[in-house]
Amino acid sequence: MSAWWIVFRKELLDAMRDRRMLLMSFVIMPLAVPLILGGMSALGARKQAEKLESTLELPVIGAGRAPNLVAWLGSHNLRIVAPPADAEAAVRDQDREVVLRIDETFGENWRAGQPARVVLIFDSSRPIQSGATINRVRALLDAYDREVGTLRLVARGIHPSVSNPLQVASRDVARVESRFDFTQQMLPYLLLLLAFIGGMQLAIDSTAGERERHSLEPLLTTPVSREAIISGKILATAAFTLMSLLMTLLAYRIAFAAMPSDQIDLSLNVQLPALAMLFVVILPIVMLGATLLTALAAFARSYREAQSYLPLLIFLPMIPSLFLMVAPVRTQLWMLAVPFLSQNQLILRILRSETITATDWAVSLGSSLLLAGVAWFVAARLYHREELAASS
Amino acid sequence: MIEADGLRKAFRSRRGAIQAVDGVSFQALDGQITGLLGPNGAGKTTTLRMLYTLMRPDAGRVVVDGIDAARDPAGVRVQLGVLPDARGIYKRLTARENIEYFGRLQGLEPDLIAERIERLSLALDMRDFLDRRAEGFSQGQRTKTAIARATVHDPRNVLFDEPANGLDVMTTRALRRHLLGLKEEGRCVLFSSHIMPEVAQLCDRIVVIAHGRVVANGTPDEIRALTGLANLEDAFVKVIGSEEGLYS
Repeated sequence: MSAWWIVFRKELLDAMRDRRMLLMSFVIMPLAVPLILGGMSALGARKQAEKLESTLELPVIGAGRAPNLVAWLGSHNLRIVAPPADAEAAVRDQDREVVLRIDETFGENWRAGQPARVVLIFDSSRPIQSGATINRVRALLDAYDREVGTLRLVARGIHPSVSNPLQVASRDVARVESRFDFTQQMLPYLLLLLAFIGGMQLAIDSTAGERERHSLEPLLTTPVSREAIISGKILATAAFTLMSLLMTLLAYRIAFAAMPSDQIDLSLNVQLPALAMLFVVILPIVMLGATLLTALAAFARSYREAQSYLPLLIFLPMIPSLFLMVAPVRTQLWMLAVPFLSQNQLILRILRSETITATDWAVSLGSSLLLAGVAWFVAARLYHREELAASS
Repeated sequence: MIEADGLRKAFRSRRGAIQAVDGVSFQALDGQITGLLGPNGAGKTTTLRMLYTLMRPDAGRVVVDGIDAARDPAGVRVQLGVLPDARGIYKRLTARENIEYFGRLQGLEPDLIAERIERLSLALDMRDFLDRRAEGFSQGQRTKTAIARATVHDPRNVLFDEPANGLDVMTTRALRRHLLGLKEEGRCVLFSSHIMPEVAQLCDRIVVIAHGRVVANGTPDEIRALTGLANLEDAFVKVIGSEEGLYS
């Protein structure tokens, strides 16, 4: 039996008997991810449906100046209400999402056959909350515009198509799976975070905790090499994280299979082969996380000290995700060599059912595993320091 | 046999370098119990740490059964059974699992480990807590577990740092019997202590350390003769020059 394997087995056995750690890693975390994503997705879908189907209240300033327009809007699932005293302030304060103002000159211009002006008052800084409402009102106004225009041309004996030299048709090539919503942007981040720091407790417990409980020095009196000891601990942390991650993915899969399909965005419903691919993509991050956590925790004198600086590592997987949210760019091969950025891209591709070439796989897995290897080497070197065991 | 030859070790601290061990030489022979006696802070633990290769000496040599610790530290550790100053055991494992873990790390086969545990639990009277989780063990039960795991590989040389610390009378007696048993089997037993009666009762040879140096080295009778004092405790105080650190 290799020494690292003995250490590995002991650390796992030790962890499996820690109820708090088990509860956290195998119950709370696996439940949290589907709850957060599923909850957000269901809530988002319901809000969206409400906005599209419910009767919308539209405050109109000067409704008397355009009775026909107002009546037409009223017949298209809008309810015209009295405008607030200060329309702009009301929109800015989010009392109203959108207010329609009919210009004083509307009647005059309308009768003269000139373009008559209406003004849409809205706040573009809240696209998620009020974007759908604004688009809905704008679409209705456009429809009215086209309808009346067509009627006027017909009244003059001109074929309406004369005014439509261009016919723009839309054809969305996105597959059903790749229709995107913001919950899907969260999935890569949550998965990477879990993969990276999911083993934090075990890493701290098996190193800083071991020092604190004075069991490291006896361990170092055995003939086993320090490389073997730290390798066993790193691998135990990685294995524990993988188990937690597997539980999370399965819980996620089950949760989405159980949800009524009209309540959620179906694109989040990942099939089992895709889950397996996600697992492989994340594997190097698990190794990297386990190595870095173990190496760092090995230098803390106590559990508490380790806990005080390891949370900083939470920001590492966040950086590429934020980068992609702010500057969405076309994937290039070099990106697949950057840890986190690489996994983020590949997770999104898997969710969109896009193809991933052998080169992509090789670059992503190779570079991240290489980095994990370097981290391991540094950790093993550092574990040789004398101060490590003889702290008292 | 454990040989220390001119060991020196300094630590850097905020107040400058501290010479913890300043030229310690002695031999601990097979079939004998050797006591490393000295007040707290005299350099006993640091000396022992160099013997069991946790620390590298700044100067000097450690040889265990003919193996040079600088050349083959792992080889030296195989020959040693060490009860270090820090003797934490794994709380979520049973006493048996704690001992098994070290047995495996020493490269022993499962059958042999089981057999050794049987023997050690008998020798150290561990029967009633052997299969209990170590959480909530008394100091004595923890020390017995630590001693058992330190000697599970049946080492030729045994090295205990302050083994009697914090033990009650019954456990101390069991420990004493165990040490004498190891000596009877022809092993080299070396332990440190700052408690005079303990050392006087057990040791064939006493090495007295103060301020990082060996100030006396001989049989109890030789040390009495050296100081001209019949009482070994008085002799000890005379040798180290003060009573500081003796009775804590």
